[in-house]
Amino acid sequence: MDKPPLVLDPNFSGASEDFPAVLRRKGLLQIAPEPTAAIGSHSFVPTESTTILAFKFAGGVLVAGDRRATAGNTVVFDRADKVLEIDRHSIMAIAGVPATAWEMARVLEHSFQYFRRTQLQEMSVDGKVRALSKLLRDNFGFVMQGVGVVVPIFATYDWNSKPEARLYFYDAMGAQFEVTDYAATGSGSPAVRGILYYKNSWGDKKLKELNEDEAIAIALRALDTAAEADTSTGGVDRGGKIFPLIKIVSRDGITTLPEAKIAGVFKQSVA
Amino acid sequence: MIEEPYRWVEAIANRREYIETQLAAGSPIAAVGYRDGILFVTLGRARQKIFEIYDRIAMGAIGHPGDIERLRLAAIELASTEGFTRSAADVSLRRLAHYSLSPVMKAAFEQVYGPPYLARLLFAEIGSSPKEDLFLRLDYDGAIAADGLTAQPRQRFAVLGGTRQSAELMEKFLQKEHVTDAVLPDAVNIALDAWSVGRMAMGENGTKEIPGRDVLRKHRGEQLANTAIEAAVLERDSKSAIRYRILADEEVRSGLQK
Repeated sequence: MDKPPLVLDPNFSGASEDFPAVLRRKGLLQIAPEPTAAIGSHSFVPTESTTILAFKFAGGVLVAGDRRATAGNTVVFDRADKVLEIDRHSIMAIAGVPATAWEMARVLEHSFQYFRRTQLQEMSVDGKVRALSKLLRDNFGFVMQGVGVVVPIFATYDWNSKPEARLYFYDAMGAQFEVTDYAATGSGSPAVRGILYYKNSWGDKKLKELNEDEAIAIALRALDTAAEADTSTGGVDRGGKIFPLIKIVSRDGITTLPEAKIAGVFKQSVA
Repeated sequence: MIEEPYRWVEAIANRREYIETQLAAGSPIAAVGYRDGILFVTLGRARQKIFEIYDRIAMGAIGHPGDIERLRLAAIELASTEGFTRSAADVSLRRLAHYSLSPVMKAAFEQVYGPPYLARLLFAEIGSSPKEDLFLRLDYDGAIAADGLTAQPRQRFAVLGGTRQSAELMEKFLQKEHVTDAVLPDAVNIALDAWSVGRMAMGENGTKEIPGRDVLRKHRGEQLANTAIEAAVLERDSKSAIRYRILADEEVRSGLQK
């Protein structure tokens, strides 16, 4: 123990330091350089990965992501997980550089638990949303250098005054936007947004009224459409039987849909 | 001034006596292994005494709230940074206690110009099987007593008492009554009985023998009537990586035997 964690705390709180601050004090969290203009030559091509979407349906929030990771025109990996569980009720889905995003998810996961354990209460939804925003802001120096852009979606279930699912998307600087119906980010997102907007406005049912199978079908169709025009998006790999990763946040926590279930809906409604 | 070794020994002895007096009124804590995990139980009026440290580690404490808080935060910080930089599987109670907390508590206790930690801690770590469970008691002077670290046959329980007499009697009681594969409600009853034994052994006029069942249950009933039960479990087969769960007072009381 290099320093007692609580010497004299003017804020009456053991966690005047949040977990990222603890990591920085110990030299365990890389600090991004000051934001400057982009480096001229982009000879280094970072691994990136793309197209995630989330929307509210009758059973909570569905979050889906394709599995492809790319570096430039090269497909690096076809089974990347971009839909990450942060705690029992929160999911962060990522588009951008996986190295940065996974590290961010790890920091975030530990931050929420560190807060609960030290403060003996769960962090509020607003606090969690803000924590991710701060991590993105701290990372902006890397973004400006062209090597660490992350644009996440955050879905969670709020237990407070009015229990309901909440859904946010972010920009690379850390601004958070709460949405009522759906969100999509990544290079394939324009197509996905088009589909979700169309479906929500003029479909047979609003997204919020879809049952689970219908919601899965829409998610698969949207990702397949995105993959049609965007090389960075894996969509559904029919030959390799690689399906998108789909998770659902509801009152009872997070459910990861088994591949067999997704394959079933795919066969019935998409293929 | 303390110039000679003799004075230092005397100062340490005085300090020990002072701390023991301060801790004497602490409400006992029992940690018992049961079929599906490890259960922590205590009764208290004033403040929380059972805490989550990390995914598989819980802590019970008696002593001064300020000191407990410093040690608790240090333990959480150490476990969290280790879990972050390596993995949750690398966070170990054995290392936490032996290499970090114990030396700090010993140093604070023996530096007679500085304040010691007025705290006595009870940790448990749940493993993937009962054979890997660890119970560990850490005293204000850094002394460690563990169940599960050596080849010694395991008891699969541990207690924390304000006085030596209280703790010893609780241990004696549990050696007789504790069943390692009990279901949760049964484990709660045994742990509450053990707590009552420890409570009755406190103070100068405390009982020196394990009381009979009727006397014990009468005392327990009186205590339960106006004191809240504080209980938490570390569950072995939880779907989540986080094994710690607080049991609500009603949940505990629903399974109580008369």
